[in-house]
Amino acid sequence: MTNGWIDIKNTDMMLIMGGNPAENHPCGFKWAMEAKRNRNAKLISVDPRFTRTSATADLFLQIRAGTDIAFLGGLIRYAIENNRIAKEYLANYTNAAFIVKEGFKLPEDGLYSGFNAASGTYNNATWNYEEGGDLSGKMDAVASSAHESSAHGKTSAPAGKPPALPPNVAYDLTLQHPRCVFQLLKRQYSRYTPETVERITGIPKEQFLKAADLFTSVRKDGDMKKVATIIYAVGWTQHTFGTQIIRTAAMIQLLLGNVGRAGGGVNALRGHSNIQGATDMAGLFDSLPGYLKVPVPADTDLAAYLKRITPGSSKPTEWSSMNYWSNTPKFFVSLLKSLYGDSATKENGFGFDYLPKVDRDYSWTHIWDDMYNGKVKGMMAFGMNGVMIGPDTNKNINALKKADWLVVGEIYPDETSEFWKAPGITAEEQKSINTTVYRLPCAGFAEKDGSMTNSARWVTWKYAAVPPPGLARLDQDIIAQIFLRVRDLYKKEGGKFPDPILNLSWAYADAAHPGLSQVAMEVNGRALADLTDPATKQVIKAGQQLPGFAWLKDDGTTMCGNWIYSGTWTEAGSQIQRRGTEDPSGLGIYPNWAWSWPANRRVLYNRASCDSAGKPWDPDRKQVWWNEAAGKWVGNDVPDFKPDSHPKDHLGPFIMNPEGVGRLFVPIGVLADGPFPEHYEPIESPIKNPLHPNQSNNPLVKKFKTPYDKFGSPEEYSIVCTTYRLTEQYHYWTKNNPMNVQLIPEPFVEIPVELAEEKGIRGTDKIKVISARGTYIAKAFVTRRLKPMMIDGKKVYQIGLPIHQGFRGIDEDEGRNARTPANLLTPTVTDPNAHTPESKGFLVKIEKA
Amino acid sequence: MSQASTEIIRISGHAGSVPGAGLNREFQVCKLVDTTTCIGCKACEVACLEWNGYTFSETTFDNTYQTMPETAWNYWNLIKFNEHERADGSMMLLMRKDQCMHCEDPGCLAACPADGAIVQYANGIVDFQEQHCIGCGYCITGCPFNIPKFSPEARKVFKCTLCNDRVSVGLEPACIKACPTGCLHFGTKPEMKELAETRAEQLRNVSGFADAGVYDPPGVSGTHVIYVLHDAKNPELYGGLPKDPHIPYSVRLWKGPLKWLGNFAMIGGLVGLAWHYMRYGPKNEEPIPPDDRRRV
Amino acid sequence: MSTKAISRSTAAGRDEELIPRYSLGERANHWLGSLAYIYLLMTGLAFWSPYLYWMAAVVGGAPTARFWHPWLGLIFTVSLFWMLKQWHGDMRIDDNDRAWAKAMPDYIQNRDDELPPTGRFNFGQKLFFWGMLLSVILLLLSGVVLWYTETLPWSLRYVRYAAILIHASVALVTIGLFLVHVYMSTILEKGSFSAMVHGYVTRAWAWTFHRTWYYEVTSGSRPRPRQ
Repeated sequence: MTNGWIDIKNTDMMLIMGGNPAENHPCGFKWAMEAKRNRNAKLISVDPRFTRTSATADLFLQIRAGTDIAFLGGLIRYAIENNRIAKEYLANYTNAAFIVKEGFKLPEDGLYSGFNAASGTYNNATWNYEEGGDLSGKMDAVASSAHESSAHGKTSAPAGKPPALPPNVAYDLTLQHPRCVFQLLKRQYSRYTPETVERITGIPKEQFLKAADLFTSVRKDGDMKKVATIIYAVGWTQHTFGTQIIRTAAMIQLLLGNVGRAGGGVNALRGHSNIQGATDMAGLFDSLPGYLKVPVPADTDLAAYLKRITPGSSKPTEWSSMNYWSNTPKFFVSLLKSLYGDSATKENGFGFDYLPKVDRDYSWTHIWDDMYNGKVKGMMAFGMNGVMIGPDTNKNINALKKADWLVVGEIYPDETSEFWKAPGITAEEQKSINTTVYRLPCAGFAEKDGSMTNSARWVTWKYAAVPPPGLARLDQDIIAQIFLRVRDLYKKEGGKFPDPILNLSWAYADAAHPGLSQVAMEVNGRALADLTDPATKQVIKAGQQLPGFAWLKDDGTTMCGNWIYSGTWTEAGSQIQRRGTEDPSGLGIYPNWAWSWPANRRVLYNRASCDSAGKPWDPDRKQVWWNEAAGKWVGNDVPDFKPDSHPKDHLGPFIMNPEGVGRLFVPIGVLADGPFPEHYEPIESPIKNPLHPNQSNNPLVKKFKTPYDKFGSPEEYSIVCTTYRLTEQYHYWTKNNPMNVQLIPEPFVEIPVELAEEKGIRGTDKIKVISARGTYIAKAFVTRRLKPMMIDGKKVYQIGLPIHQGFRGIDEDEGRNARTPANLLTPTVTDPNAHTPESKGFLVKIEKA
Repeated sequence: MSQASTEIIRISGHAGSVPGAGLNREFQVCKLVDTTTCIGCKACEVACLEWNGYTFSETTFDNTYQTMPETAWNYWNLIKFNEHERADGSMMLLMRKDQCMHCEDPGCLAACPADGAIVQYANGIVDFQEQHCIGCGYCITGCPFNIPKFSPEARKVFKCTLCNDRVSVGLEPACIKACPTGCLHFGTKPEMKELAETRAEQLRNVSGFADAGVYDPPGVSGTHVIYVLHDAKNPELYGGLPKDPHIPYSVRLWKGPLKWLGNFAMIGGLVGLAWHYMRYGPKNEEPIPPDDRRRV
Repeated sequence: MSTKAISRSTAAGRDEELIPRYSLGERANHWLGSLAYIYLLMTGLAFWSPYLYWMAAVVGGAPTARFWHPWLGLIFTVSLFWMLKQWHGDMRIDDNDRAWAKAMPDYIQNRDDELPPTGRFNFGQKLFFWGMLLSVILLLLSGVVLWYTETLPWSLRYVRYAAILIHASVALVTIGLFLVHVYMSTILEKGSFSAMVHGYVTRAWAWTFHRTWYYEVTSGSRPRPRQ
């Protein structure tokens, strides 16, 4: 979330897509209701199904699963056409005025410039800004050539050298230059007419226009007071273009000037209590804690690595840019110091060589594919039910059959630890499965302390309520034991490269039972030498906890496990255990409740809540502002900005970007599949992409090659299917809790009344849902909340099924009611940026069971 | 809410006046259910179960999100789901938390023959007193909302107590405590009524629900659970909320005119028979005349 | 085969004076029905009025009363249908009864001489019997609804509404019939009560109140009830 849960109460308009917070985030959804009750805020729900969120919406649109970019692209077009954009914000706080390099081509045929069909990747050299300064009013000279080259899409990048952003970007504040980002954006989405939106999404034109008018009404007549928010969850991420859907939302919010403002922003609702924390602490293979990039084999030493990942600022010469990532060396060296302690010295590049270098995609689906192909021999599964959660359950189960061993740390027997009992595996076959499964009873959430980071980026300490029962142990105890024993082995036997293990810092009071508060203090970071702030002369003694990431050094005098968490546990004590309920501004900031990264800021980019002069757009929702007398930024929230930067300096509010502004156009390399989002069809889709039938899917999507990676044609599998969760259940756990089982006792498939009539299916009849990969069996839930849709002239049905039930749980145990897992149906194809599988839109057929 | 507000003001099947009547009658409590902000999360259902100590019972999927068709003796709080298609073709998923309405004029209490089995407190809560319940089920007949439910094991009838045990010590009912969206409110009747009316007005003026309104049916002299409905003209849409609930006429007839008529007839009959005896005396057998033609 | 319990049957002279009126089965059934009815009456009245709620305590407490009331209702029903089986011939209403009905005021005012002679049961008794039988059918039907009131779905609630009214109203009717019956058989018509106890009436009693039956029995055209 750029903002936070409570902040939703400050909004005037909510667009909820790809998420169903009423059901999956009921407690947070209270703030949406508060906004409705107290501010007369409007709620637009766009979803493949009419959900319980839709039930509270002012407007509901049924969208075909996986066509969100088409809808949002249409919204961008509508906002521009109807002048419902924030002009001052756009010109000053986004890269709308920046001029893009010659040779950049829009994907009118489905491909951006630089596509290499052989490798299936882009050379993104042309996805860059032009160098050159203020071109305002000088467009005539370049107009014709620009248009020409963009139409041809020639790539002119010199081979070999990785492209970089120009330090002195060319720009046109009149936004008229044909190659300025705004004009390109306009052209890109000019194709997303209401008619096209209807053809692709199935949302009738009038309804789309109604929604577009309602959402953009916050910028009616150039008024900047009102604010709209966009709220989403995994309904957006689980697509082969998921990252780009979220990008489109961010672009809309930049166009309308909604980012950085109370009641605005782009807000991801995280599905677990601590999934944000997991992401912050390197949840993905390609990141290190604090979103530092993981080293690759080409990074031969620390200097080369830091050079690659530390951006130089890139902006109009007249403007300023904080380019906060220029501090990357400080964050990274401090991280290495926390990892390797005294073994990290200047001479050995602070132990840079100890870090693994990632040579390819090691994301979720690749792990299972590698296991299927015999490359991964064993797996340790903690805090997740891999068989159930990943796509293509059959493939995953067959991968586990080939593994030598599997360690599962869980609080219940789950489908992963009993994969060999899946429905369809005979007793005879079970005997032939040789995977050794070790099941380790772990502590449940109420049995362990530690910190959780919620969707709003609040890091909150939680306390253990009860001790773990029986033989159950804390996760960190299990991991510590494994580590200590592996280290002993390395000590004894040496090995190819024992240094990373032997030199790993493990400075906990009780090595076998690391206290999580000690880990938290390590994550916050401390001084390793006496430090003095040159401006304030404040001194931090060696060994003291750091007050924040501004103190981090790249010379080895500080250590910090995660720079964005620096400030969580200072000399003043644990900030994440704070429970202050004061809210002086009434905006729901609660500055003394827990601690919000970064630097206890509740709304990111909050400088953008003020106009260029530093005055809040809405005087009733004052977050931060420029205090001329004091000569600094002050406010109710912690300014996400250089505190003494005078508005006249024109320092960009998006301090994490080298440009200092929000990116409507994403230059080089940040996203693999294009600087602007483009609508692509899901891998399994009932139609060819009406925008470019010859490039229907995301060109970067790769398919695996196992026999399980099969895909269905729309001729055989004509129904669009999506998966979802219910408010009554939580993932695959609560089927072990009688209360939840009572609320939703059995799995079901929601199908439209019309489809049911066609197939002669009545509610509660058992039906089979069949995809190219598997067959799911459940009872039919015949409902009018799903309606048939007209997609590109074709009648298309859409169905949905919840994911919760499986073959372990109080109702499923002992083979009583073994259920088929929902992910039997889903394909193993992923988003090229975030590597998230496409679970929310695939093809099936149904029949009576 | 103080303990004083749980003073008893009416007692079912009770001869004579109510002990302590006329003392404290300040508080009239009220639960407000704003169906327009209900998200059907069922937290209230679980809170109700847990607070009242009821446990898991088996359910089956029935083509709805609704946990079971209606409330049960051990399941007092149930969200009723109804898919409704409006005239313009747009869908509504109406969700209404169903539970005892705590009528000002409670049909259950009127129908109950057992002394003290149903009481109405000064704060408006209508409460079943298990130890006095005889399990006759007349309350089931008397209730216009289908709330009291019979337990075959206990042979007694149970229903929502408005968490009288919590309210009497100053806490809100468990369902209110659990509600995440603030669709449930608890307070005094005038406060809740005002809050409800304000919300209904907002729905009419801002959200385009021209018929939005508050459900506080006069047929039972108002209830201590009130609803905000998008469409107050059609409460039946909300899982069968009666449009004009009142104590069934047959119960009224039975407990009113018939009772008086019956009592009068029974006493009148006894008097009449006594009078007859006094006036005409006994019938005595007469000796058979010797000339009786058939005398054997 | 004369009953040993009644000493006068042993004396030949006495035998001349007494004739059997009710068989053992008839009496047993009558008293079964009576006891059941009294239980039903007491428990019913307890539920009828708070002022009579104490009656429930007399029969073991209100929940017990609620439990047994329907079962006793069944017993009472069975008893009445047994009576129907025993008496259906004697309870047939004929022309004689219609004439008797016209002379009912004479009966009420104890001018029994004016009445047409009656068979085993007079029209009043027949009215009582048929009234009770009809009532018990209605009570049974409405009673079953009240017994299993919780099993009726909400959509059939009107059946419940009807049942409580029918049950109460019909019960009141039976109370009326019952009062008259008890009054007449215990206080008004001497000899009736003892007939239901030991089964015999005097010839005079029979001649006075059931003359046709008396002639039938004494002439042997009708078998005497088995004692």
